[in-house]
Order: sequence, then structure tokens, then C-alpha cells
Amino acid sequence: MEEFQNGNESSFNPEEADSIVKECIESLVGKEDYSQNQVNKWTSSIVERCITQLVKLGKPFKYIVTCAVMQKTGAGLHTANSCYWDTAMDGSCTVRWESRTMYCVVSVFAVSIS
Amino acid sequence: MFVCDHTAPSHSMGGSDAYRIRPNHQDKFKPAIVKECIGEIVREHLSGVQYEQEKVKEMSNSLADHIKDKVKTLGFDRYKFVVQVVIGEQRGQGVKISSRCLWDADTDSYAEDVFMNDSLFCLVAVFGSYYY
Repeated sequence: MEEFQNGNESSFNPEEADSIVKECIESLVGKEDYSQNQVNKWTSSIVERCITQLVKLGKPFKYIVTCAVMQKTGAGLHTANSCYWDTAMDGSCTVRWESRTMYCVVSVFAVSIS
Repeated sequence: MFVCDHTAPSHSMGGSDAYRIRPNHQDKFKPAIVKECIGEIVREHLSGVQYEQEKVKEMSNSLADHIKDKVKTLGFDRYKFVVQVVIGEQRGQGVKISSRCLWDADTDSYAEDVFMNDSLFCLVAVFGSYYY
């Protein structure tokens, strides 16, 4: 992604966020099959856990995390983002994950406060 | 657009409002207004449109850009926006989308709207974050 800055501590690091998000998804739905009853709980836990881990990084950012879980039925899904922010400091990271029965797309947006 | 703040002296260094750390009540992000604006744009673009694999990518991107440009004109100064558009085909599958935000609940907020027709569904979420 173009907004990756190297050597600048205070701008958003997408790679770090990427690995945090992947770990959260794997640990929460890694071995599960899509289930209508559980999906509510999964999406909430994924976003909450991602935010908690991101906060532990201790950087001066506000975070917006969205998670979409969709059953695999051959249907198509597209997500698009458009952001009006400071391109030097702010950034986003989107992780697409799939298993045999479902897709999971998590987006993290980090908005700087300094 | 400058709003006169009646509770604080409005003379400041060179007319900039960099001393502000909170928006006025009138300038706060208003979800209801943004939601209506999103709804209008989505209905205009997607009414009667069928889901088509090749076209959807471009459609979702252009929708996100249009909505972002429109929200910029609504007059929420010092706000940063994130617009997220999700378009999916309707095939009877289950979808669940949720989000969490770590922000200043006093100044920041979001607006969302869902549009559905027979062949597709479209979810738009606009998040507004105040820049101190």
C-alpha cells in the first residue's frame, strides 16, 4: 500500500495491523463452520479483540475496525473505502480470510490525533 | 466556513481556529443528516441495477468516492472521514457486518444506510473523526 512509511514511528504501520488482525481471526473462527446463531458473537469478538490488541501498541491513533462475515454460497462481495484524511499519518489495512464455509473481511482504519 | 463562537472570543491568530479542541454543538458530526445524504446517493446510483461481476468493482469504488465528496460539502469542519461501501450479490446467503471504534465519543460518530433490491445489497458506513 502506498501509505506505508518506513522509519517514521508516528505514522500507521499496516503490516503490524495485518498480523494482529490475522491472529485475531484465526484464534476466533479458525476452525469453525458458518453458523447463523454464532455469527453475531464472532463478529463482535473479532472487532473487540482487534481493537484491544491495537490499543496495546500505544500509538496516538483513533481506530475504526469493521468485520464482515459471509457464508460461502458462490455469491460475490465487494468492499470499497474512500477516506478524507492526512495521508502521511493515517492509514488503513484490510485482511481477507476464508475457510471452507465462510469469508471474513476485516478493515482497520487508523486516524492520527497528533 | 467560519462559525462565530459566542462563548469564546473569536479574535485569534490570523483567523485560524487551531486553538479549538472541541467542535461547537452545531458543527458536530450529525449522523441523521449524513444518513439521508448517503441514502439519496445510493438510491440514485443503484436503483434498478443488477449485480454484475465486472461492473461492481468500479461501481463500489465510484460510490465510495461520490459519497466522500458529498460528505465533505456538508460543512463538518476539522473532521476526517472514512467511507466504507460493501456491495454483495443476493443469493440467500447470511452476512453479518459489525464494527467497533476506539475514539472520542463526544466528538466522533458514524452514519450508515443499507439498500437492497432483488439482485444486490449495499451497505454504506461513514465514520467521522474530529481532528483536534
